[in-house]
Amino acid sequence: GEIRHLNSIQFGSFSSTVSSDAVILVAEMLKVFVEEAARRAVKQADSEDCDTVDIEHFEKILPQLLLDF
Amino acid sequence: MDEDEAQKQRLKAAVHYTVGHLCQDIAADCEKQITKQTIAAIAETAFRQCDIFAKDLEAFARHAKRHTVTVDDVKLTARRTTALYNYIQQKSEELALNNQELKEKRKKNAAKRKSKDMEAEGENELED
Repeated sequence: GEIRHLNSIQFGSFSSTVSSDAVILVAEMLKVFVEEAARRAVKQADSEDCDTVDIEHFEKILPQLLLDF
Repeated sequence: MDEDEAQKQRLKAAVHYTVGHLCQDIAADCEKQITKQTIAAIAETAFRQCDIFAKDLEAFARHAKRHTVTVDDVKLTARRTTALYNYIQQKSEELALNNQELKEKRKKNAAKRKSKDMEAEGENELED
């Protein structure tokens, strides 16, 4: 919900218009992106036997995340 | 330009807020803690990714000689990973189904209103 609101604000500043369905889908994409980032970072922390997800864990999974998106 | 910058900061803050909640929920689910620094990094990355999406979408729409970014353009941005593409495909089908149902609801309501109006007219004629 919040992501969708953000989307419409951000796309407001663009020269083309965006269909409302497209806005909803982009919000989904971003949500999946964030969830993947978090889940992969958690997995990385897990594989290193850490209870706390640190920035190093996120940095390690970032390259593949960007390639997948 | 200052107004644009202020708007950008507001957006970033809003993204940070939402990302924070999403990450906390996922970490809690997996019984882990997540540092604020990590959340900030994820939020920053998400914000930049949004920019990349937006640029791609505009380019796709332009390539198709359209002025409006559509669902098809969004699907294209999901092309790199099969699972992601399938997920977005499924979501777009749900949206289309939803729109269809809304359309039919509106048609029914319009038909109902029409028959009510006609009944009312009928009664008026009788009164005359």
